[in-house]
Amino acid sequence: MKDRFASFHPLVNFVYFASILVFSMVFMHPVLQAASLTSAVVYSIMLNGKKAVKFNLLYMLPLLLVAAVLNPVFNHAGVTILFYLKNGNPITLESILYGISAACMYVTVIVWFSCYNAVMTSDKFIYLFGKIMPALSLIFSMVLRFVPRYLAQIKVISNAQKCIGRDVTQGNLLARARNGMTILSIMTTWALENAIETADSMKSRGYGLPGRTSFSLFRFDARDQSVMLVLIGLIALVLFGALMGENTIRFFPSVKWLAVTPRSIAVYIAYFGLCMVPVIINVVEDMKWKRIESRI
Amino acid sequence: MSEKQITGQPLSRRTWLSAVLILVVIPATILLGVFVLEDRKYYFISLLIVFYTMIPFALVFEKRKPQARELIVIAVLAAIAVAGRSAFFMVPQFKPVVAIVIIAGVSFGAEAGFLVGATAGFVSNFFFGQGPWTPWQMFCFGLIGFLAGILFKKGLLKRTKLSLCLFGGLSTFFVYGGIINIGSVMMFSSQFSWEVLLASYVSGFWFDMVHALATVMFLFILARPMLEKLDRIKTKYGLIEPVSAKK
Repeated sequence: MKDRFASFHPLVNFVYFASILVFSMVFMHPVLQAASLTSAVVYSIMLNGKKAVKFNLLYMLPLLLVAAVLNPVFNHAGVTILFYLKNGNPITLESILYGISAACMYVTVIVWFSCYNAVMTSDKFIYLFGKIMPALSLIFSMVLRFVPRYLAQIKVISNAQKCIGRDVTQGNLLARARNGMTILSIMTTWALENAIETADSMKSRGYGLPGRTSFSLFRFDARDQSVMLVLIGLIALVLFGALMGENTIRFFPSVKWLAVTPRSIAVYIAYFGLCMVPVIINVVEDMKWKRIESRI
Repeated sequence: MSEKQITGQPLSRRTWLSAVLILVVIPATILLGVFVLEDRKYYFISLLIVFYTMIPFALVFEKRKPQARELIVIAVLAAIAVAGRSAFFMVPQFKPVVAIVIIAGVSFGAEAGFLVGATAGFVSNFFFGQGPWTPWQMFCFGLIGFLAGILFKKGLLKRTKLSLCLFGGLSTFFVYGGIINIGSVMMFSSQFSWEVLLASYVSGFWFDMVHALATVMFLFILARPMLEKLDRIKTKYGLIEPVSAKK
């Protein structure tokens, strides 16, 4: 399925992911964590399909369990002692809960990053940061381009070497290693020479003059504006909740969080809504499309 | 990080900027962590601090409007490091990135070393997947390149195989391993304790050892030919000093 959220302006995508990643790292309140983890998993499955299910079950679940078990072994704070280890250290309920919570946080962030990798492609990143740091983002885009180019060039060089019997597939082991080194050496020299030529060519075409354009063009239209406003509103609500202490939880010495009030429920809903923005967009667009299709 | 004045103006501005960051912004962040987040979010705070240390480099580099040739040499070295990392993707930790970053630092100076390292760390994760570890890797690679450049300028690091391999092995093991393990402890447990850190060092020992050995090996093979090639390019195209060559 095509992701609709990715078709929004890069700024919208970036603000969404930046706020979600920061919030997921900072807020350890169980309700908020559950909201973030659920939406991360749902969105990652929406983006990557079967691969995401496999990734989540095969890598994230064991990671979660290991991290959850690891904490109580090292952390003995907390008042509710469950039992003692052989070496006399107590295992406490608080440290187990904390371990689960920290593990959840870690896994949530990684799953969010898997979504980030699918949505924030490098051209979007360069589009966003090209204006703030032009030189560095040019380096980023050049490196991204150079890597596949070098791999292709290595093939060219190695084919040429094969004609004179000096490829990595020819000769005994020592000769192969030496041939491999020669190919890399040729590659490096070529890369450096070629780079200087590219630089001179860039310079003669006016690199560094004002009025530079970028490869991908994005327009910040009405659709982006409305989603951006929703994002900002929800972020403000969540931050307000953080200010009121709704989003935090104390683990040590004993577990404690604010009582659930209508205000805290509002904050939970806002946070869940924020996390689900791309999922909601995808579902709504899908429904719209189905309706249009059915009318034909 | 304590920056030393080496090449005059640009570095001194960076020193000033990092002084502000170190003396004002970083303590403010830590205080914010202690009072607002109740001192629980070590990972988040440490992440911010890692970002702060990289800002001066980015700002100074942008400020002085680098020439196309300088940009592209940094890009080529970073791309070689990234390609090297992807070429060895099936062998965990056995990566030539640190070796190339050190060579870049020695050949083109501390700033280029930092930029090659940080860029290689950042861009290679477009291929391997970004994650909470990205800033740590960027910082560690960058720091090693920066150190290589400074030590070479101060004459403590020589262009001999022995000296480079020694520096490479030690810096990979202690700087990279030392910092990355702190990062993974912060990521994993978000509750800092010395025992967990020690456990992480012990469990990461062989990974760091393999990484250090790989760096030594790659430096042993690559250092001389690579430095020769870079020297040739520098004399052929007049890129003797990246700072003085820009005007």
